[in-house]
Amino acid sequence: MYDLQLIGVGKTYPDGTVAVSDFDLAVEPGEFVAFLGPSGCGKSTTLRMIAGFEDISNGDILIKGKNVSATPPEKRPTSMIFQNYALFPHMTVRQNIGFGLDVKGLSTAEKNAKVDRIMDMFGLNEFADRKADRLSGGQRQRIALARGLVVEPDILLLDEPLGALDANLRRVIQNELKLLQRELGITFVFVTHAQSEALGLSDRIVVMNRGRVEQIGTPHEVYAAPATEFVARFIGSNAIIEGANLRIEGDMASVETAFGRLRGRCASSITPGASVLVAIPAEAMRIQRTGTAGGSENRLHGKVSMKHAVGSVGHFKVDLDGKQSVDVQTSTDNEALMQLAIGDAVIVDCPSDRVTLVGQG
Amino acid sequence: MEARVLKPILGVYCAAFILFLYGPMIVLAILSFQGAGGGPQFPIIEWSTYWYRHLLGMTEPGRISRLPIGDSLLRSLTLAVMTTVVSTVLGVVTAQGFRTRFKGSGVVFYLVILGMIVPGVLVGLGMALLSNLLGINRSWWGTAFVLHVVYTFPFAFLVMLAIFNRFDRSVEEASLSLGVSPAQTFRRVTFPMIFPGVLSAMLFSFTLSYDEFSRTLFTSGRELTLPLTIYGTFSVEIYPNIFAFGVLTTLFSFTLLLIYALLMLRAVRSARSFKGQEEAA
Repeated sequence: MYDLQLIGVGKTYPDGTVAVSDFDLAVEPGEFVAFLGPSGCGKSTTLRMIAGFEDISNGDILIKGKNVSATPPEKRPTSMIFQNYALFPHMTVRQNIGFGLDVKGLSTAEKNAKVDRIMDMFGLNEFADRKADRLSGGQRQRIALARGLVVEPDILLLDEPLGALDANLRRVIQNELKLLQRELGITFVFVTHAQSEALGLSDRIVVMNRGRVEQIGTPHEVYAAPATEFVARFIGSNAIIEGANLRIEGDMASVETAFGRLRGRCASSITPGASVLVAIPAEAMRIQRTGTAGGSENRLHGKVSMKHAVGSVGHFKVDLDGKQSVDVQTSTDNEALMQLAIGDAVIVDCPSDRVTLVGQG
Repeated sequence: MEARVLKPILGVYCAAFILFLYGPMIVLAILSFQGAGGGPQFPIIEWSTYWYRHLLGMTEPGRISRLPIGDSLLRSLTLAVMTTVVSTVLGVVTAQGFRTRFKGSGVVFYLVILGMIVPGVLVGLGMALLSNLLGINRSWWGTAFVLHVVYTFPFAFLVMLAIFNRFDRSVEEASLSLGVSPAQTFRRVTFPMIFPGVLSAMLFSFTLSYDEFSRTLFTSGRELTLPLTIYGTFSVEIYPNIFAFGVLTTLFSFTLLLIYALLMLRAVRSARSFKGQEEAA
């Protein structure tokens, strides 16, 4: 049985604005799912529909097989973690964490034992009697997590929980989250606009745009094989080249582009002859001086138009025809490449199994 | 350059403002210490607490009768407390209702606000006519009370609206998502957080009702409230005993403010202090 199922879920506001439409998803127990997309794509709205804070206009939400579409939030077996922590400012850390247990009819001893255990787990013991708003962001986020987890929800919903933290702390809490989720085995649904968080944390990613699901897949799938133009543009840094007249060649396909024929993998939904976009990941492209032998079949000719190095990574911008350029990453260890100067003629190539052809629009 | 010109101007302005704000009160306070033979104006012929004693009935009975304020003071206080309770509850509930947009919320908003905008004399007169028409006896605890609520409720409402405006809804959502019912969430999360606002709404309601005049004038019936009684004494002759009463009532207001400040301080401090007590629930 799935922990969470969304069946054709949609949200339309009274003024006719469609926030989410046709959202289908089935989440296995213990899975870590991330909703990823730009702001306003409907990811938070979907999360809030799962929590019960937003009514759903179409479809159904099932938790552990039970339809909760009409269940109020306090009766759903979910717990939500907010970006701004949403701690109770008038309560101590201990009261905050124990708050959800107060209404569960536990004995004081049982309640204290549970609160002690979780405070121990999050290293919050020394702050137990402080007011929550006197603590740092990281500590507050730990309190929010402890408070949400102590009531033992079936699903933990996290709404951009790392958004308010600085970069270093974000990494620390991100690691903690990952460990925590593995340890507890609770299903996590995580909303973020940062692809690094989604790619690094989750078992599966739901990429959303304008209220629609663009692609559902493992981090590797959405990264290496984008299903739509939006995913290709949003995730990773892909060079996008327009192509036409698709030809299926076994399990690969090729298209005509302004820079010659390019080959790559292709979703089965695309019909022969269609116009498509070619997505080439920046880190899969290799750059070499024109005239050098070798390289794979997808070759683009151009001139270096920009070059800079950040630590061990060298970034090149290669101008293809005055209108389109591609970004290429190399290792700065390759001294021959680092000697390339602006204006030098180069060939950029990429193995076709790293290239993805996606439908337009 | 600008600051050099602006500063003295603002200083003078500020001084004038304070003078006109507190001048009348200071004059009144000084005159309240007039001697037994003196009138309600300068010069002070003799410094004494005679009029205070006169007010409290501690002087020999004389030509000037005591201020008949005992009953009306009690009435005004009772009325103010009643008004405070009803207006604050209404204000909190209505403002809570306005947190979610609903159809016609704009119209309802102005209907509520109307209560503090319309001229009091007219509303009072209208209420008097209406109660005559319906055969309802006018009384301070009936017709006047209703008007006091209509008048003070918008103030309480606006205060609470401002409080809820800055209120972070996710805190309530966090409580709900932990499985706590909406009623418990209001009692244990929302109310403690809006409490300073509730105090302000109560203070507004109380002080506005306590010295309300125009609305009460036509609607209180034969039993008068304090402002009406005081006004009534003007029509005979003014003695410094009324100033003495003014000073006492001002002191009373200051006491109220002090209590308000202390409660507020406690609310703020309890939200900040390092040590919290275990929840009594």
